[in-house]
Parts: sequence; structure tokens; C-alpha cells
Amino acid sequence: MTDNKSFDVAVIGGGPNGLVCGTYLAKCGLKVVILEARHETGGGLDTFEYAGFRYNPHAIYHMMGEYMPPYSDLNLKENGVKYIYPDIQCSYISKNHKPLIFYRDPEKTAQYISVNFSKTDGDAYRKMYADFSEFSEKILMPLTYVPPVPFIEQAMILNNAADDAGERYNEIAELTPINILSTYRFSDPVKAGILNLFTMWGMPAFELGFLFPLYVYKMTNASIVAGGSHRLSSAIYRAFLQAGGTVMDRAEVVKVITEGGRPVGVLTRDGVVVRAKIIASTCDPHQNFLEFFDKSELPAQVVDSAKKWQWEKETFFGAHFALRKAPVYDENMDANNALITFLGIDNTDELIHHIEDVQSGIVPDVPMGHVTCASIFDPIQAYGDFHTGRWESLAPFDADWEKITPDYTKLCVNEWKKYAPNFDPINIIPYPPTYIEMKNKSMKKGSFKHGAYVPLQMGYLRPNDLCSQGFTPIEGFYVCGASTYPGGMILGAGGYLGANLIADDLGVKKTWKEPEFVTVAKERGFIVDR
Amino acid sequence: MENYDVIIIGGGINGLTCAAYLGKAGLKTAVIEARGECGAHCDTIEAGIPGYMFNTHAVWMVTPMSPAMKDLELAKYGLEWRTTDYAWGKNFKNGKNSLSGTNPFDTIENWKKHSAKDADLLERALEYFYPNMLDFTELMQKWIYSAPSMDTMNLMSGFIDKYFKAVGVNCSGKQFLNMDGFEIMDILFESEYIKTLAMALGWIAGFNPAHKTIGAMGATILGLLIGPFYPSVVVKGGSHELTHALVQAAIDNGVEIIPNCPVSEIIVEGGEAKGVVLSDRAIYPGLKIMAKKVISNVSLKPTFLDMIGEDKIGHEIAKLVKAYSYDEQNLFTVHYALSGAPQFKSAQFDEGIQRCYMGYFGGDTTAEMKSFANDISRHTKKIHDKIICNYFITTLADPLQAPPGGHTTHVWFDVPPEPVSWKHGKLNGFMDWDVIKEKLADDITDTYESYAPGFKKLIKDRLVYTPLDQFRSNPSAVLGNWAGGSMIPEQFYEKRPIPQIMRGGSRTFLKNLYLSNSIHVASNSTLGSGYIAACEVAEDMGARNQSWWSSQACLWFLENMSDIPLNLGVK
Repeated sequence: MTDNKSFDVAVIGGGPNGLVCGTYLAKCGLKVVILEARHETGGGLDTFEYAGFRYNPHAIYHMMGEYMPPYSDLNLKENGVKYIYPDIQCSYISKNHKPLIFYRDPEKTAQYISVNFSKTDGDAYRKMYADFSEFSEKILMPLTYVPPVPFIEQAMILNNAADDAGERYNEIAELTPINILSTYRFSDPVKAGILNLFTMWGMPAFELGFLFPLYVYKMTNASIVAGGSHRLSSAIYRAFLQAGGTVMDRAEVVKVITEGGRPVGVLTRDGVVVRAKIIASTCDPHQNFLEFFDKSELPAQVVDSAKKWQWEKETFFGAHFALRKAPVYDENMDANNALITFLGIDNTDELIHHIEDVQSGIVPDVPMGHVTCASIFDPIQAYGDFHTGRWESLAPFDADWEKITPDYTKLCVNEWKKYAPNFDPINIIPYPPTYIEMKNKSMKKGSFKHGAYVPLQMGYLRPNDLCSQGFTPIEGFYVCGASTYPGGMILGAGGYLGANLIADDLGVKKTWKEPEFVTVAKERGFIVDR
Repeated sequence: MENYDVIIIGGGINGLTCAAYLGKAGLKTAVIEARGECGAHCDTIEAGIPGYMFNTHAVWMVTPMSPAMKDLELAKYGLEWRTTDYAWGKNFKNGKNSLSGTNPFDTIENWKKHSAKDADLLERALEYFYPNMLDFTELMQKWIYSAPSMDTMNLMSGFIDKYFKAVGVNCSGKQFLNMDGFEIMDILFESEYIKTLAMALGWIAGFNPAHKTIGAMGATILGLLIGPFYPSVVVKGGSHELTHALVQAAIDNGVEIIPNCPVSEIIVEGGEAKGVVLSDRAIYPGLKIMAKKVISNVSLKPTFLDMIGEDKIGHEIAKLVKAYSYDEQNLFTVHYALSGAPQFKSAQFDEGIQRCYMGYFGGDTTAEMKSFANDISRHTKKIHDKIICNYFITTLADPLQAPPGGHTTHVWFDVPPEPVSWKHGKLNGFMDWDVIKEKLADDITDTYESYAPGFKKLIKDRLVYTPLDQFRSNPSAVLGNWAGGSMIPEQFYEKRPIPQIMRGGSRTFLKNLYLSNSIHVASNSTLGSGYIAACEVAEDMGARNQSWWSSQACLWFLENMSDIPLNLGVK
């Protein structure tokens, strides 16, 4: 199996990006090894089963689902990946107003909002959704799966495109998310509810308006993987093995070995040397540019940008439950059957202050939880008629979590009970932010996207302008994790882009075609071949 | 999904073993598993602080004695074993301990501290045993890896006959088979330290010393041979690595593994099994999959009552199945994540206890063990007042299962699954586990502390696992039973599970339906049940005669055991 430690490509990291990258390249006939630090691959796609319940401590909402090219290119459906798209996507529960519900069907949502909140908000939603879905489908989603272009150039391409959606999108993209919502004339609580679909991920309220339409659109069309998130990574893992790939687990890479300025292999913490001339890393910028190489091997600019890399200021406090019953919040059953339920969010100012508190290191004493009971949509995730419950709320990383976790867990339980008096756990598994970093080395300070989403670290600048397209100043060393364009979350993009680039650079025949949505985006003029 | 030669319902380690053999023999085989991953009873989870791995079921593995090691070349899939200097140890309240070493001379040294006579018996037993190893391996091949038969029972009896004669024990093989564990221990040994050491080990393997035949076998065979002959090892990386190796072996041999697909029905028409129907919770809800042979790796009751149904098996058989007992071999488990290794008081007596990954505390005397057995029996159903239990400190053998410097330990406490009382008051049976689990775990923690002072200060995390949790995790584990059904004389060997339904080791009265679960005592991680089912299915399909399907019990272990690293986690 791994006696012969010489490969064409070594992928560092067996999370979704590493698995995707490795599998595409293995399918080209290359000899690929994935080196994973933990005992198993999967990274942020983690599920464990205990006492009849499945717990998903990391990623659970899959924004791209079947849209992502790896789903079809790697035959994931045949490998048992089934996506479930709940019709009721989000419900906001508050003591101050009726439940705010977002359905997958935008018209149903618009009517619901008109009846229960205001006609202005309802009409606004209709218009906003039409715009956002158009921008996402035509522009933002296709752009996720091609290499990045500098911001100004991209804006010009969109402006000059044959399809005028580019121009209309540019107008929105310049604004902040808050201002975008004002443009559409939303008011609270609907305004706060839509803004939160973005900010819940640690995205800023006052920046990155260009991503806002994508998140709102995708968070009202989110899916979960049947059986638990790990079913996705284990399917890609199987596809990788079937394509002849090799996985080395408990193999933490500490150095890239170079000769004459080019990689010849990697060294693991246990002193094992694995030879490969092409290295694809899905790790974070500190590992990539401050640890894997000697300083002298990289341009000062790259080392500098790594040193300046900002970790996320907001991470998650999690708590996972086995429940006797599904929580009931309201007599409106739709409010109780949403994929995600948000507790106690109804006011934009409060929301923004809450986020600012977390960013300045304050542990919220009234946490704003987003909760999911996956078993409602996928009964196999719980025993019999019981349910699983999953709580996450924004929290700062730097706190004495070892000390405060037991009490903070109780606090979150009480908060959930406040909104659902029938909340009845038979088992509780706390998951403080420190666990995120302990489990996944690259998620430093609980940065589940591998680094803050601030303008200087996004798009063409992620991780920096010399490396955002996947290649780096070191020929043969590529980067394709969440700290590279297009970023984190479950997109199936980083690894896909890395594999495309490496295949092109090596001149090997790809077994997959350009996705149709990219071809269409090119026809429309939104993507230009460089 | 196409038609298969063989469908195996349940991807436990026996089901996977069976599948790998049949796949390698050229049969088109599928394993259909309800959970997200295979290996419900051979699993490792990272359920709390990252880096701390908890083995939820099988931990002490005897798999190295399985023919599958060679036949399926399991070592090539990264399967490695780990252990410690001492294979088994028992802590006593008075600060003493009794130990069984991986090296038998270490055992003799410890036993001399208790009884020169008993140590001497062991020495003579080993002297007899070494040159007669092949007799033993032949016996194990027949006993564990073949269908039950009177011939084998006679072989067992004859083996014990010769063995006892050679070492001067006044007991025949026939008498031996009619004794319980307490009786035979009285005949063999004089020291309570040694008697209870042996009977406790047999008990945790499922051989309750209170039972006739079962008790004698467990205490004697395991008690005397553990370490050098009967493997006491853990899996490098956690028990789930055995499952992963078997999955890879199965896939390598062309088997299709289909997870997330609970089976709701075995299609039986005209007294013949024809295929399965998937549950509506499966990835492919309601899908029918047909096959020539159906093997159920699910235990007896759910197989016949839930998946087949009373109307297909008849009233008489249904009555017998309903009466099948699952109320012995039910465990209450507590897992701990620790910042260091427990320091046992008894280390002052013999520091070998600190180099022992599997141990016991409580039950200092035969009388106490008898009282324990009596309390948890179906007649009394009481959770025993005193915590008498076995513990594992897996990380002494395999430090990979915790972050550097950290350790894991867990405790197995035998309990009645439907308790009616405990020392804190009355109880309402199976469902009360949800109510009492934390308190019982506290009692266990207190007891552990009394044998290993400073234990509580080491605790960073704790996870409790009750018989109810086990049942919820796996419907095959009725009442949380880990053994596929009680190990009691009425359900032992040729009587297991129910003689009226069996037509071989795994063949049943329904044509083309086989069992690979509940069929064999001592199956555990020997992979015996899966092997027996594979043999019979392959015979019936004309595929048994394979040149590679030839290894015998124990051979791999005897050839490789000196390569198994010791004490990697011991400071």
C-alpha cells in the first residue's frame, strides 16, 4: 500500500478540498497520495454516531449541494451521496413578533411576509430574491468554479458583458449588505433576518456586499447530506481509492522538502518522507508560508502576507443533543419544521452590536443560537422517534473555555428552552470553539473558513495576489484550501480549481469537462478566458 | 442495484469477514449496513475533546488467532496490534494485585507472591502446553471456527483430560464440562487472588463463572492461557481500525458495501429467502434487492420477528424465538479522557499493574463474585451494590488514542438490563438507564478513585454508555446485549441459538437463509461466526475449495506475536 513512498502528487490535508483535488487528479491517471494529520479524512465534514444518534459537529448546511462540479464529475450520487433540500429553510423565533419564515419557494415566502409582517417587506423580498437568484445563478455561482480575477478587472468584465445582469449586479455589489437591504426597503425584523443569513457565518455587515446576494440565495436553498455530513467526504474518499489514490492518515506534514527551489517531497511529524514533485496544500497560510518552507525560499511579500493573515474574530460555540422530541416554538407548524431556526434575532441594531461584542472578545451572555434538528428531515440520524438537535452561536475564541463550557452549555440549553419549552435532551455534547482548532489544525482560533473574510483577504487576494489562483512562487507547490480563493464553506471549489490547474500544468488529459454553467457564463460574457 | 449471489445484512466484523471470504471465493456479494459506517460493535468515536478516542465496544481483541489474518491478508490493510507487558491484572482492596503477563514467566513471578503451589501448577501447565500447541490450535479451529458438534465437545473433553492428568489435577474432562467456574477454580487453585483473577477474565469474555460448562471453560482456558497463547491485544489506532481493515479487504475482494440502508424485511417466499427490502429511512427507501443467499448478521430476534415475521416462520418457532434470552452480557460503560495514567495503589505490591492495559477491581473473593452473579441474574435483577468491574487503559498500549501525554480509560460494569433495584432504591427497568446513568457513573468514578488515588483529578471528560444506549445504537443488541444473546447453558454451543431452527452452524430451516450472529459463543472478535457462515455458504455454492482458504486458528498469532510492540504508552 504505502511501501512505495513515491508519488506524482502529494495532497496535504484530507478535508473536502484535499479529497476533491486528490480524486480529480487520480482520475487523470496520476499517482496521488493524500496526507491527513488526523486518524481519518473528512476535515470539516465530520459525523460520529453515538447511542443511536448522529452528531455533525462541523459543517452541516451544504450551500452548493449538487451544483458543485465534483458531485457529478466524481459520481458521488452513485457512491451514496443524497442531498435533502427542506422546503422550509429558515424560521426566526422571537418574543417580539410572529415567526419569520423563509421557504424555498420565494413566492410563498413573499406572501407569508406580506401577510405576517408588511406588504412592503413582502414585495421587497420578491424583488430581492429575483435579483439575487439571477446574480447567483448567472454570475456568483459560476465564478466560484473558475480562478479569480482582480476586483476591478472583474467589475469591468461584468459591466461589459452582453447580458446586463452584470451591470445590475455591479450596482449592488458596491454597497454594504446593510445598504443593500435599505435599497430594497426592508425593515426589521425582516431586515435583520436577511442580514443574519450572511453575518451568521462571520461575514461583515458593512463589507463584502458583492457576496451578499450569494449567501442570501444559498441560505434559502440549503441542503443537508442524508446520513450526516461525513457521508459526503466518505463518498469522495471511496471515489479516491477507486481511482487508485493512496491515503496516509495520522500523517501530519511539517515540511515541504525542496531541491533546487522545487519541491521533491514532504516530511511528516513522525519523520516519514513521502516523495512527490507536485504538492497541493489545503492548509492555512501559516502552515503554507511560515512552516513548510525556509523563509529564504519564498518572496518576502508572500511571507509578509502570511504573517499579516487575519484569523476569524467570530467562531462558534456548539452544543449537540439527543432529544426526546422535536422542539416546538409556535402553533404554526412551519415554524417548527425549518432547516435552521434562529432564536431571538429581530433587530438589525441589536444584531450588529451583538456581533461587535463578539468581535471584541466578549462572550455573549445572551447567545443568539441557530439550531437544526437534522433528524426531522433525515430520520435515520436519530433513534426511533427521537431527534437530534444542534446548537451554534457566535462566540470569541479567546476565553477560558475549559472553565466556562459547562455553565455556558447550560446557558445555551436554557436559551433554547426559552423558545421551545418542550426542549428535552437525553444527551448533551458540548463543542466549545477550542475543539474546532484542536480537531483541525488549519482552523486556527476556531477559524472554520481558515481566515477572516475581510476585503484584503478575499477574491483575488486570498491568500494574496501571488497565490490566489492556486499556483505559488514555488513552482510545483500549489495551494487550494479554504485560505485560497474562493474560500471556506462546503463548496467543492478550492480542490476542484487546484486539480484543474495542476492537470493543465502537467498537460494530462482531464476526464471531466468544463461545467455547463461555466460555458453559459462565458457566453453571457461574465467569464472571460485568459 | 443488481442481483447478488449473497447479501449480508449488517456490516459488523463478522458480517464483513464473511463477505470478504465469499467475495474472494468469487461470489457476487453485498453488505448492507444500517449505520453510516460498518462495525457497530467494533467502533471508535471522538465524541468529546478532540484527540481522545473512545472504543465503544470490542477493545480486548482476540482476532490475531483468526484464520482471517492469513486468508484475507489483513495486515496489508494497515491492521496492527499493540499490547502491554501484562495482559490482565486484578486490583484488590488490601493493596495487592494478581497479574497475567504476556510473558508467562512474569505471571509465575507474580503468582509466587500469592501461592507457591498455584504458581507451580501454572508452571507445570505451561510445560505441558508448549509441546502440545498444535493440539490446542486444532481444538480452537474446531471449537471456534467450525459448526458445533459432539465430536468437538469430545475433543475438548479429551484435551482437558490429558492436560489435567499431566499437571496432576484430579478432575476428568467430563467432570470439567459439568462444572461451573467457581467449582473448577476451587479444584485448580488455593489462592483467592488467583481464582478470582481467572474467573473475572472469563466473565468479561462472556463466560459467567456461575454457569455450568460455560463458567469452567472461561475461567480455565482463558484464565490460564491469556497472554502467550490466547491473545490480549488492542488495535493500533482504535478498534475501528479492525473494521476498516475488514472493509478494505472486502472491497478489495469485490464486495459492495452499502451503508445508510437499514433493512426492514427479508423476502421469504415458499420457505425460501430471496432477498431484502430496504427501510424507508434508507438512502434508497423501499428498494428491493434480490440474492441467491441471504445471511443475517443481525441477532436472532430482530432477524426472525422483525425482518421475517411470525407468519413466515410459524407459531411454534416464533414462540421459541420470543423466549430467546438477551439479559446476560449487558454492560454499563463509562469512558474517561485523562490528563495522565491512573496510578494504582497495588503498584506498591507489584508495579506490573502499571504496565497492564486491561484490569479489574472489586470482587476480592469467590463469595463476592458469587454474590455479584446472583444479584444481576434474571431472578434478582439488581445492580450490585459494590462496583466490581473491569477497566481498560488502552493508551498504555497505544498512545495514539489520546493527545500526547493524555490517556483514555473506560470501565465495563456488568448489570441486569432491566434492573428492578439498586442501592439507591427501586428501579423501573430498561428505560430507567436514561435516569440513573450519571449517578451510577459517579459511583464508578468514586470506586476507581479508591483503587487509583488521584484518578478524579486526571479526568478531563466523561462519556457514559448504558445498555439502553447500546440498544438504540444497534437494534441487533436487544436489551443492549453485546453477545448476540445470553451466554447461558440453554443457549450454548450446539443449543445456540435455538436448535430447532438451525441446520448447521449457520444454515437455518429456511432455505438460503443463514445466520452469522447469535450462532456461536466466544465469537467476539475471533470472527468465528462470520467464518462459519462463509464456510457453509461457500460449500452450498460450490465455492469452498480455495487454495488460499486454508489457515488454521492461532497460527498467525504464534508466528507474529513477538513482533507486537509492548508498552508504547507507558512512561
